[in-house]
Amino acid sequence: MITFSNVSLIYPQSTHTVLEDLSFQIAEGEMVLVMGETGAGKSSLLRLVNGLVPHHTGGILAGDISVDGISTRTVKPGSLAHLVGIVGQNPINGFVTDIVEEELAFSMEALNFPPDVMRKRVEEVLDLLSLSALRNRSIATLSGGEQQRVAIGAALVMHPKVLVLDEPTSALDPIAAEEVLSVLHRLVHDLSVTVIIAEHRLERVIQFVDRIIYIEGNGETSIGPADEILKSADLVPPIVRLARALNLREIGTSVREVRRQTEDIRNQEFIPAHVQKRHNDVAIDVKRISHSYGTKPALANVSTKINQGEIVAIMGRNGAGKSTLLHSIVGLHAPDSGEITVNGQDPTLLKGALRRKSIGYVPQEPSDLLFGTSVEEECAQADRDNQLATGSTMALLNRLVPHISHHAHPNDLSEGQRLALVLSIVLSGNPDVLVLDEPTRGLDYQAKSIFGAALKEYATQFERPVLLATHDVELVAELADRVLFLAEGEIVADGSTLDVLLSSPAFAPQVAKVMSPKPWLTVADVVDALGQEK
Amino acid sequence: MKKPLHPLTLWVSAILLALGVVALDNAWIAIAIVGAVALLVYLRRDGSPWQASFNLSLRIGATILAIRTIVGILIGVPIPGTVLFKLPILDLPSWMPGIRVGGSVTLERLSSSLHEGVIIATMIALFGAATSLTSPHKLLRVTPSFIYEIGVTLVIATSVFPQLATSARRIRTAQKLRGIENIRIRSIAIPLLEESLSKSLQLAAAMDARGYGISRKRSRYRPQQWLMRDNYIVFGTLITVGIMVAR
Repeated sequence: MITFSNVSLIYPQSTHTVLEDLSFQIAEGEMVLVMGETGAGKSSLLRLVNGLVPHHTGGILAGDISVDGISTRTVKPGSLAHLVGIVGQNPINGFVTDIVEEELAFSMEALNFPPDVMRKRVEEVLDLLSLSALRNRSIATLSGGEQQRVAIGAALVMHPKVLVLDEPTSALDPIAAEEVLSVLHRLVHDLSVTVIIAEHRLERVIQFVDRIIYIEGNGETSIGPADEILKSADLVPPIVRLARALNLREIGTSVREVRRQTEDIRNQEFIPAHVQKRHNDVAIDVKRISHSYGTKPALANVSTKINQGEIVAIMGRNGAGKSTLLHSIVGLHAPDSGEITVNGQDPTLLKGALRRKSIGYVPQEPSDLLFGTSVEEECAQADRDNQLATGSTMALLNRLVPHISHHAHPNDLSEGQRLALVLSIVLSGNPDVLVLDEPTRGLDYQAKSIFGAALKEYATQFERPVLLATHDVELVAELADRVLFLAEGEIVADGSTLDVLLSSPAFAPQVAKVMSPKPWLTVADVVDALGQEK
Repeated sequence: MKKPLHPLTLWVSAILLALGVVALDNAWIAIAIVGAVALLVYLRRDGSPWQASFNLSLRIGATILAIRTIVGILIGVPIPGTVLFKLPILDLPSWMPGIRVGGSVTLERLSSSLHEGVIIATMIALFGAATSLTSPHKLLRVTPSFIYEIGVTLVIATSVFPQLATSARRIRTAQKLRGIENIRIRSIAIPLLEESLSKSLQLAAAMDARGYGISRKRSRYRPQQWLMRDNYIVFGTLITVGIMVAR
C-alpha cells in the first residue's frame, strides 16, 4: 500500500537530515506505530505519506514515496485526499467549518461529490463513529474525544485506504483515548484500512499495533514487529520495562501476555512495602467551594486539604472540573461560594512579586509565558523579576536539560525543552506552592522522567506541595503521593495513589494491571518488593 | 432537535421589522419588539459561538442610547416645554449660527432624544438577534453560486476570530498568574502571533490534505430548502410590518 524507497529528508537552513535512506513497505490493513523522541521527525514522516512534506513545508526530499502506486512527488496533497486521510495533533486547528455535519462533508464538497453520495457517506460515518447525536452540534462545544472522532470521521468520508494520525490521544483522558483507539482497531480489522499512528504514550497503543517504525535520535531508523523493536529500544512503555526488570523470556505488548509469564511472582507472598510518611501541615485549604460558568456547574461543594511536601494529582475525565479547581486555587477567579487559602492567604489577592513567591503556576500551554526572543533573554528576565544573581535561572535550566542551546528561540525548542524552560522560570521565583496544568502533553519517556525528578526534588527538598492536573496515569503512578479524582465537579475519590489507581480499571497503570491483585503501581515497586524477598 | 429555519428567513424578517420600527416611530412598541426578540433568542439558544452576538448588540445599543441622549441634551435646537433643569450656554463663534450647546433642558427635548436612541438601539438589537439565531456562516452557505467561493473563503477566515479571542484571554491570564502586572502589548502579541501563525499553517495544511481547491467546481451538502414554514414566518412579519407602516 505504501512504499518508501531510499527516502531522505532535510529541511532548508537545517544542518542535519531528518530522515536518512529510509526504505520500507506497509501492507494493506496494517497498523503501524511511529515512535521516537520529541523532535525526532515523527510528524515529518507521517506527513510525507500524503506529500504535505515537502509540498507544504519546503525541504529537500530524496528517494521516492508511493501510495497505492501513486508517487507523492508528482501530485499535490489534495489529489491524494481520496486515498490518504490525515488527522493532526490538535484536531481543532484543522477544522474548517463550525458544525459537525458540515465538517464531515467539507472534503466531499471540495471535490465536487454529488449531493446524494455525500448524504449517504456522512450518515455512514456518523453511525460508524457513533457521532449521530452530535451531528448538529457546534464543534467548539465538543469534548476532546468527540473532536478527535469528528476529525477521524472527516477523513473517513473519503473512504481512504490509509489513515494517518499524529498523537491522536495526547489531549485525551484514558477513557476517551480508549474510545478513539478502539475505533481505529475496528477500522483496521473490519475495513482493512491501513493505519499509521505516532504516539508518545506507548502504553496506550502498543497492544494494537502490528509493526513499529522507530526513529532514533542519531538518524537511524529501524522497522519491525512490535516486540522485536521494543526488545532493544530506549523508549519503552512500563510493561516492557517490567519484562526487562524481571528478565522475562519474551517481551509482551499486552497485559494478558505478560500476566501469563508472571503468574509465579504474583503467587508469592510479600511483606507489604514501607508505609508512606504522612504529611500533616496544611498548605492549601479548600473549603466547600462551588463554581459555575453561566448555568453550567463546574465545581460543587469541593473540600480538600493539601499538605506541605505532598505531590497531589488531580485526575478525572475531560470536563470533570480539574482546570476549574486549579484556577480557583491559583486565584484566577474567586469561587461562587466557599473559601480557599494558600498558606493562609487568599490567592485572588496576590499580585506581582508576592504572587511569584507564593504560587508557581505552569499553564497548559507553557509557551503562554514566553515572549522573549531567546532562551538567554527569558532566563535573564526571570533573574531580574526575582532579583536573583545573573545566571541563576540559566543554571537551574542547565541542570534540567544540559544541552539546551542558549541562543535558540523559545519557539524552536522541543516540547520537553520548552516545559523545562518554563519550569525553571517559575521555580526561579522560589514559590511556596507549585501548580501545573497538564504538564506532560507531548513529552517522551525521557523528558518525562527528567521532569518528574525535578518535581520530586522540589517537593522533598523544600517540603512544599505540588499540585498537578493530568491524564497521564503512568506519571501519576511514578510521582504522586495522593490522588484527587473528580467527576462532574465533585471529588469522588481522595486517597493515596495506590488506593485510588487500583480501584479503577480504566485509570490503573500497566504494571498494576499485570500484577493485580498485588498492590504495585510501578516497575520500581515490583523490583523493591522482590528485592526485599531476597 | 429543533429543525433550523432557512438562514434567510430570520434575516429577511429582521430587515422587515427594522423598517416597520422606523416607519412606526414608536419607542414603546420598539421596546416591546426587543423584548419579544430577546425571548425568541433565549428560547432557541443552542450554545453556538454566535449566540453571544445578541448580548453584544444589546450592549452596543445601550451605549448608543446613552451617547444619543447626552448629545441630544447638550447640542441641538431648543424645544420649548417644561423646563427640567438649566445648563450653562457655551459661547460659540459667530460663524456657527443656529447651534447651541447647553441651555435649558426641557422634558420634550429629553424624551425626543431618548426616543431616537431607542429606535436606533432596536434596529441594532434586531440584527444582533438575527446573527445569533442564524450564524453568518449559514447565511454565506446560501449565497448564489457565482459568489459561493468567496463565501467559503469568508467562512474559513472568520472561523479564526473566536479562537483568537480565546487564545488572547488564555495568554493574558497565564501571565497574570506569573505575577506580571503591567501587561505590555508585546508580551501578549508575541505568543498570540506565534500561535495564530502556526494555527493558520496547520489549517492550511489540513485544507490542502482534504482536497480544497483541487476540483474547480464545488458541490453543496444538504442545501437548505425554503419551506412552507419559512413562508409563514416571512408573511407574518410582512403583515405586522404592513400594519405598522400603514398606521
